[in-house]
Amino acid sequence: MIALVDKYQRQLRLLVILFGLALLLLVMFGLPINVLQSSIRLATPYVLGAMAAIVASRAGVLNLAIDGMMLLGAFIAVAVLYKTGLDPLVGALLATVAGGVLGLVFAVLYLRIRINLVILALAVNLFIVNATVFFMRTQYGAFGTLADPSIRGLPTIELPFINQLPYLGSLLSGYNAVVYLSWILAAVVWVVLFRTQFGRHLRAVGENKEAAESVGINITRVQIFALTFSGMLAGLAGAFLSIGVLSQFVENMTGGRGWIAITVSLFALEQPIPAFFTALFFGLSEALSFYLQSRPEIQLPPDLLLAIPQIATIAALMIVALRVRAGVLLKRRNFAAQFGKELDKLRQGQFVGGD
Amino acid sequence: MTNALEMRHIRKYFPSSGVLACDDVNLAVQKGEVHAIVGENGAGKTTLMSILYGLVTPDEGEILVNGTPVRIGHPHDAIQQGIGMVHQHFKLVPSFTIAENIMLGLEPNRVGFIDGATEAENVRQLAESFGLPVDPNARVKDISVGIQQRVEILKILQRNAQILILDEPTAVLTPQEVSELLTVVRSLAQAGRTILFITHKLAEVKAVADNVSIMRRGKSVGTYATHGVSIRETANLMVGRVVTLQVEKTAAKPGAVVLSADHLLVAGTGGIPAVFGASLEVRSGEILGIAGVSGNGQTELVEALVGLRPVDQGTITFLGQDITHNTVRERRGAGVAHIPEDRMIMGLNLKTNLDENVVVTSYQHEPYSKRGFLQLEPIRQLARDIVEKFSVRSARVGEEIRTLSGGNLQKIVLGRELKGDPKLIIANQPTRGLDVGSIEFVHKTLIEERDKGAAVLLVSVELDEILALSDRIAVMFAGKIVAVLDVKDVTEEKLGLLMAGSSLEHAESAAEKAHL
Amino acid sequence: MRLLRRAVDSLSIPLIAIVLGLAASGVFVIIAGAQPIDTYQRLFCEGFGPNPCATFGDLLFTQVETESGVLQTVFSPTYGAGGSRIALVLEQATPLILTALSAAVAFQAGMFSIGMDGQFLMGAITVAFLGYWLPDQIYLLAGVTDPETAPQALLTIMHLIIPAICIAAAMLAGAIYSWIPGYIKIKLNVNELISTIIFNAIAVQLVGWLINFPLRSDLNNIARTRRIDDTAWLVPFNRGIFQDVEWFSGARLGVGFLIALVAALLVWYYLKRTTAGYEQRMTRGSSLFARFGGIPTGRAALRAMIISGALSGLAGAIAILGVERRVIDGFQASGTGFDGVLVAILSKESIIGILLFAPFFAGLNLGATNLQFGNLPRQLGGIIISFIVLFSAMEDFIRARLISLWKRRTLLQRTAPVDKPDGNAV
Repeated sequence: MIALVDKYQRQLRLLVILFGLALLLLVMFGLPINVLQSSIRLATPYVLGAMAAIVASRAGVLNLAIDGMMLLGAFIAVAVLYKTGLDPLVGALLATVAGGVLGLVFAVLYLRIRINLVILALAVNLFIVNATVFFMRTQYGAFGTLADPSIRGLPTIELPFINQLPYLGSLLSGYNAVVYLSWILAAVVWVVLFRTQFGRHLRAVGENKEAAESVGINITRVQIFALTFSGMLAGLAGAFLSIGVLSQFVENMTGGRGWIAITVSLFALEQPIPAFFTALFFGLSEALSFYLQSRPEIQLPPDLLLAIPQIATIAALMIVALRVRAGVLLKRRNFAAQFGKELDKLRQGQFVGGD
Repeated sequence: MTNALEMRHIRKYFPSSGVLACDDVNLAVQKGEVHAIVGENGAGKTTLMSILYGLVTPDEGEILVNGTPVRIGHPHDAIQQGIGMVHQHFKLVPSFTIAENIMLGLEPNRVGFIDGATEAENVRQLAESFGLPVDPNARVKDISVGIQQRVEILKILQRNAQILILDEPTAVLTPQEVSELLTVVRSLAQAGRTILFITHKLAEVKAVADNVSIMRRGKSVGTYATHGVSIRETANLMVGRVVTLQVEKTAAKPGAVVLSADHLLVAGTGGIPAVFGASLEVRSGEILGIAGVSGNGQTELVEALVGLRPVDQGTITFLGQDITHNTVRERRGAGVAHIPEDRMIMGLNLKTNLDENVVVTSYQHEPYSKRGFLQLEPIRQLARDIVEKFSVRSARVGEEIRTLSGGNLQKIVLGRELKGDPKLIIANQPTRGLDVGSIEFVHKTLIEERDKGAAVLLVSVELDEILALSDRIAVMFAGKIVAVLDVKDVTEEKLGLLMAGSSLEHAESAAEKAHL
Repeated sequence: MRLLRRAVDSLSIPLIAIVLGLAASGVFVIIAGAQPIDTYQRLFCEGFGPNPCATFGDLLFTQVETESGVLQTVFSPTYGAGGSRIALVLEQATPLILTALSAAVAFQAGMFSIGMDGQFLMGAITVAFLGYWLPDQIYLLAGVTDPETAPQALLTIMHLIIPAICIAAAMLAGAIYSWIPGYIKIKLNVNELISTIIFNAIAVQLVGWLINFPLRSDLNNIARTRRIDDTAWLVPFNRGIFQDVEWFSGARLGVGFLIALVAALLVWYYLKRTTAGYEQRMTRGSSLFARFGGIPTGRAALRAMIISGALSGLAGAIAILGVERRVIDGFQASGTGFDGVLVAILSKESIIGILLFAPFFAGLNLGATNLQFGNLPRQLGGIIISFIVLFSAMEDFIRARLISLWKRRTLLQRTAPVDKPDGNAV
């Protein structure tokens, strides 16, 4: 079995790609266009969240507080706009800043005060969940949902020329600024990681601390920068959730999307571009669950449909794990085969020589 | 002519372990010279080099580069002074290309964006100018250890190092790679770089170095021109005429074969075989010592024998049973005891108390547990027995063992492992880091066990220990057992030559010459 | 003596953390426009205090008017007129103790599972269903049309076995729901923290669906399951044996609390006195050591996950059988499981610590919930808790600070007159 996988690796990979393509075609032509549009739109927090996870884990720190950072961003965006009449983009900007500040605090608490990462993440997430609701009630007197006509959502922007394209026009255009920004940021993360000096230092720190230290890279500083950047991305993702969809803040509105984003990055093996497409898949699963709910003739329970992204997450986690496990097994097999044969040769040689 | 490098009266004492690693060490190296530094394990070579590279701060002494005194408190300072070091464990980023590794921290960039083409070109030129061809775009995880080492050398050359420290550079290389490296070292010296070559393989010293400084137990014994001193003389100086450990023991009465390993293949880290075709036999009532420079597969061999590491090929037979793929517990149940190399992490659980440490190998049996319930009193009795029989000072039943000294911790391990008269005792570096009294105790205990009829497999990098305890000695080199000798036929120098990779015939002829 | 010193040692950091946590949360109270001291006074009074309670002092001793109109000083925790709040705290602490034990068992095998919420829900929904379905089947078999008219003997027997079956089923459900992430961790090395969080979310959706559709009992505005049968009910003390004791009158504290205490004792016994517990603790302490000794580490960790899941399932069963008697929409967000994780973290997984901190958390949440009838939302409780957890995780840092402070002081005293020119700062 393993030998077969090893032998036909290329063919298998091709098969997987073909399967993916077929699935894509099926999705593109089998589903109404508005489902695809909403998939792309709903993928935004996953795209940004996954980028946040990638930036942090590439620097050697698992950012387990992404969910909290997202939630903070979502709240700040709405709080900034509440009865101020400010442009929604200002809300998104300040949400990004707030996420960055939380990322910085997280980094200092983890790297300087050395709090256990998991406990720190649990505490930070818990704090944000409670603090956002606390302020929602004390400052705005809102229960459960903070909405107000003064909170304007991000406007939809039609891209000139592109929206004229047949079919693709409606897929690639007609979203708000944060959606486009998330595409750009995915590319930016790739460029920063793989084309800039800072990104290279970041990856060196994440992969081999000693190597980075031995050439004089300040590890702590790089990690603090990475976590701050990661927090900013998560904060922007949060802003999308609150002012990019319904222009309101709802208690605990991330609904675990931060954790799913971490899984997206794990699934994509921390590569920004594959992570982008994985995120699109999660957007699709979310859009599908809404779509199927809106179709009463399809007798499917809505709560279970809401669990589609989560079930997909578990599947993704297991696929990654299986892949890693198979890789390890393969390596050992190859090792045993290669050196075993060499050893046999040597042994026979010795035997003959001894006779 | 002033020396390129001088170290004067260096002294370093490690209070935590109580080791005086460097005691008034002096070293002078000229520009363009290959200077070997040799000594046994623990002679202080590595500490001296760590001081030079700013990783360790000396208690006393001064360092002069080109005649000027310098302060080196951090590797930055060392690099600034033109000193570079190739560590035994490479500091490379596996997923980066060769060029990316070499240029890490020095990337040619325009407002932060790396100019990849220039980078690769720079590296190519650098590599060519030193005659060390590499493919700048190959990834480090895909290249051989020899090339990785070359990358490390290029990395420090790129940082304009005039003095290169190579810490046991040949330990990880194949024979072909070694000869390539030696050529490279010579050519670098010809190009005017100064090279400090740390090793304990004397043949390499002879082949590459101009001068050799010998260290023994933290002191510098002297510096000699390589052509004026033979390998044999160097070996004598290295080992010294120190009083070897005296252990009283009677002649062995070896019985039946207890353990035999046949052509084992065991993977090390990074997909390289750590044990490559090693075979050995241990009989009851004898101590088989495995001598070898550390890192030649001893640890992996031991782990494979006790069941902690999978065997990829070959068989392990214990008392006539094939146990190659048995679990640790099955092997222990059959009568295998294991005194591990690292008592702090593997041998003991320092987070818990004495009782729970002594019972880890036997808790599932009566009287220590009945039907899944631990029986506290028998366990306490066991702990009490061990504390008494092995006179473990300041260890008390039911109390944490965190604060005990190394010697007392090792006594706990011994007490636990020797309980129930094991048929085979595998001891890996059982006296490492212990004080003299404890060492004596461990030795005495192992010989007692042998006399009681146990088979003992002793792995040690301390030659004295091997010579004092073993009845037969197996020499391990590059994952193989290269020779098995009776202790009566062995001299330290012969052993030293075998450990350095010489063939048995060569070692024997060299030794005969010495006696003539 | 040694025990006392150890107790003081292990309690001092949580106590410092609590003080610091309250201080830090005070900032939020001030932002919300309230007086911190007053607020905390009310918070603790509402959480732990006797019926008339105004100051911290009242938490211990309070003056009450007796029937004859005389003022009398009483010891507050035992004062039960109108129902003691302590009983209410213990009622709320019951599932918390169990989920904290569940977390502790998982942690003590080196598994950072925080799937208690999901396992709790699975246990709860299992008994919410079995609690009425099982009796129905029995009535059907026995030919009883109206439970009111059922023979007393049948009811007694049912009252003995049905809760037991329900609890066993809930424990099984929780165990299975914990076994899955455990298995994929051991076999495939899937990060258990992330997988259990996702499993929690799936459980929330699953339970939401169940109570909205297949198990929905009526067309009440808020979806809910049918109330469990009286024979499945773990009758609280105030309706059962302690009917006349006023202290119990305000709370649905019942036999579930005793079960939780017994569970705590059993968990302690399991961890410290059985080979299985020994195996899992050694696996956590140093897995290399455990493997060296021949302990099957994977099996030990998986067993810990199963026990952990069963405990959370038990918590869910007791919450339904003893208190709620049905699952109402919104129950999914109770967070009992997650609070249990925090209790376990704060008490450093010690059983005694759990028994102390679970009521503390319960009281804090109770006080915060009652506070929201004033002007402060109950989320103040969550804020305080997150700060307490944060500060208690800074243990090493705080300890180092205290030591360096102490050192500097003694050093200053000793070396005060010496003024070093090269100034080697300490």
